[in-house]
Amino acid sequence: MVAFANILVGGVFHAAVLFLVAAGLQLVFGVQKIVNLACGSFYALGAYFGITFIGYAAAAGMSPWLILPGLIVAGILLGFIGPPIERLLRSVYGRDESFQLLLTFALVLMFQDVFRFIWGSNPRSLDSTYLIYGTITSRDFSVPVYNLLVIAAAIATAVGLGALLQRTNYGRTLRATAENRAMAEALGVDVRRVYSVVFTLGAVLGTTAGALVVPTAAASLDMAIEFVIEAFAVVVIGGLGSMRGALAGALIVGLIRAYSLVLYPELEVLAIYIIVITVLLFRPAGLLGRPVV
Amino acid sequence: MSALIETRHLSKAYGGFLALDDVSIAVQAGELVSVVGPNGAGKTTLVNLLTGLLQPTSGDVLFMGTSVAGVGPVTLADHGLARAFQLIQIFPQLTVAETIGTAVVSRQKKRWRLFSPLAADGEISARVRDVANIFGLDHRLDTMAATLSQGEKKLLDVASAFALDPRVILLDEPTSGVSTADKHGIMKTLIEAAKTAGVQGILLVEHDMDLVAAYSHRIIALSEGKMLADLPTADFFADPRLIETVIGKRRGH
Amino acid sequence: MKLPHAAIVAIAGTAVLALLPLVAPPYYASLMVPFFGYAIALLGFNLLFGYTGLLSFGHAMFLGFGAYGAAVVAGVFGIKSFEAVLVLVTLAAMAAALPIGFLCVRYVGIFFGMLTLAFGMLFHSFLFKFYHLTGGDSGMRVPRMNILGLEFAKYNKIEFLAEPFYYYCLALLVIAGLLMWRIVHSPFGLHLRAIRDNARKAEYLAVHVRRFRLAAFVISAGYGAIGGAILGFRVGLADPELVYWTQSGQLVFMAVLGGFANFFGPIVGALAFTLLQDQLQSLTQYWRFILGAILALIVVGFPGGIVGLAEGLRRRRARAA
Repeated sequence: MVAFANILVGGVFHAAVLFLVAAGLQLVFGVQKIVNLACGSFYALGAYFGITFIGYAAAAGMSPWLILPGLIVAGILLGFIGPPIERLLRSVYGRDESFQLLLTFALVLMFQDVFRFIWGSNPRSLDSTYLIYGTITSRDFSVPVYNLLVIAAAIATAVGLGALLQRTNYGRTLRATAENRAMAEALGVDVRRVYSVVFTLGAVLGTTAGALVVPTAAASLDMAIEFVIEAFAVVVIGGLGSMRGALAGALIVGLIRAYSLVLYPELEVLAIYIIVITVLLFRPAGLLGRPVV
Repeated sequence: MSALIETRHLSKAYGGFLALDDVSIAVQAGELVSVVGPNGAGKTTLVNLLTGLLQPTSGDVLFMGTSVAGVGPVTLADHGLARAFQLIQIFPQLTVAETIGTAVVSRQKKRWRLFSPLAADGEISARVRDVANIFGLDHRLDTMAATLSQGEKKLLDVASAFALDPRVILLDEPTSGVSTADKHGIMKTLIEAAKTAGVQGILLVEHDMDLVAAYSHRIIALSEGKMLADLPTADFFADPRLIETVIGKRRGH
Repeated sequence: MKLPHAAIVAIAGTAVLALLPLVAPPYYASLMVPFFGYAIALLGFNLLFGYTGLLSFGHAMFLGFGAYGAAVVAGVFGIKSFEAVLVLVTLAAMAAALPIGFLCVRYVGIFFGMLTLAFGMLFHSFLFKFYHLTGGDSGMRVPRMNILGLEFAKYNKIEFLAEPFYYYCLALLVIAGLLMWRIVHSPFGLHLRAIRDNARKAEYLAVHVRRFRLAAFVISAGYGAIGGAILGFRVGLADPELVYWTQSGQLVFMAVLGGFANFFGPIVGALAFTLLQDQLQSLTQYWRFILGAILALIVVGFPGGIVGLAEGLRRRRARAA
């Protein structure tokens, strides 16, 4: 039982980060029907930039207590890449899905060298300043408060997104556009702007997730391409286009990873792929998605 | 003699909604049977059940005496039932010859030939030319289907169905989108082609009552999922209430 | 007798490739060996993508079957005949492709892509994690094998690759190409194209859609394995990175770069990519960025790829004439 609580919190922490990225993916897919292979690149960008940002901020005298909000700000600042990338992707809306995948794959390749250029080939990490938030320790486990704060942030985001989508007028506009673009346009919705906003929101969710993760993990070149797979596993398991699915999928993937890391290291990612394949075969809509035609 | 294609007490329900309710029809050899009815009457459901796309909730669909409920269009096409669509369906990147050739390959059971050149197969090209001739498409054999005119696409769609050498052909509003002047021409071409091709029965789903009156042996009227009538043409048109239900009151008359 | 256009292209291309080792330094000849591997793999890939309309994002897994298969057959079992290795890895890949394909072809589009991606990564993690069997991330050694029963012992590795093996691979490509040409222009190939263009209508014309998609998948797996065996032989190593999803993405890149709507497109794409990558790598360490930019450019502006560009130019010149 010693490891149990640690594994649980570790899994939920990982799930929190996964949820943020997956929520972004779901939003973009739900509204624009685009599958964004570069989501891992946004994540890595957030991680790298988070480290640089905190570095500068600390040197400029920022209090170490502000690390968490600092990282969030770093993530949000990166939102500026959203509109131009969305503009680029606009050329493949309505074309064969293969072209979408390829264009976002091209972005992955380009981002890899951008990271190499700005931050070099070696992994970067933050020092352990984040421990300033303290650690909750007991006989059985020890978990940094920072991790709990991130989990709380993810929950807050989930609630916020849910409220945005279900309870605001803009949320209704988003859902309408997702449901039927032509109708929405006919009803006066500026679909182009909606797409731009949604994509930027998705990007920000991804970059912020990456930024939040760096106190506990290093930013590396591999991050971008490895994370894509996990993010997709979450989206597939939860169901393409479903926010609640992103939550469910993230929890499942996060916990499985945490447990198998300890119990069956060989099976770690294998287990996830097997579940993805199983879900795709028996319930391609995912646990909470809409049925596939 | 068993009917070519028939349904027995066929029903299809979607949840609580009954799209088709206890419909029994049959097409005998030598007949052209029309199915008419307002939109939502269940014609499309009937056609989808007949072509094996849907599983009936109850009742059966029989082709040449064998049950074919839900077997799917591929099996039925193999057995001899062909369908032409209401909305034009083409292979955009295939030529006219290749489109017809697809059906001919299926019919001549040559689909698993991986290493023999298609172009060199005289049997296939001869049959393709014959079918194209019937539909007046022989001068367009090497044209890509996507560049044909609407009328030609329609002809191609039907031609490819005929190339299957079917026993029964299901025509789903074959003249929709065609100008009134051309409608009769197309129908005549279709029926002639059917005769030449050895098609034994035609099921026609149509809105245009002129065409229905001119070419059907029998008319089946559907309304709200139920069968209203199954009568020879003359008898059908002799009943003004039937006509009214199917096409609505004529204004002013 | 006037030769058809395609035959001229094929003969000219083969002639150029045959002359290359005689005019270029051995470095270039041995650089071309992976091109042959990728070209063969891409011929198979494009049967699935360009001709049947299914985009697989896990195709590199069959490259892995080829490379690891060669390592197992030649390294572990000591069967040094490359011909035997080719036959065995092809059979193994096709056998594996049957159940995997059976599961995957029930879906199309993005779901097919995701399923194949998942299977590919499943294979990767198996290769990576079960290091007792597969060598983990160090991979498995692929020993030098005999081609046509000959050992070429007096050639060192570069010499061997630049001459005997180069011509051997060229011959393999020609044979593989002829075979694929036949397949694509057969009644079977016609049905595949019908499936690609309008699967629903194809069903109504009695085309066995699901079975044929599976057949295309299995054939493409066999071609992939042959390509992978060549790659493994060339490097002397079977590496799990060969199977990572970005490698599958690279295959798609090559097909699109060359032009997937044309028979020769993927081969052109493999050639262009191999040469491009080599030249770019010597120019800058940021060659990935440039490749990515090229891919983006193609997707946005030139979806017909290099062959599409060439055909467009040819048509414009014909019209001007």
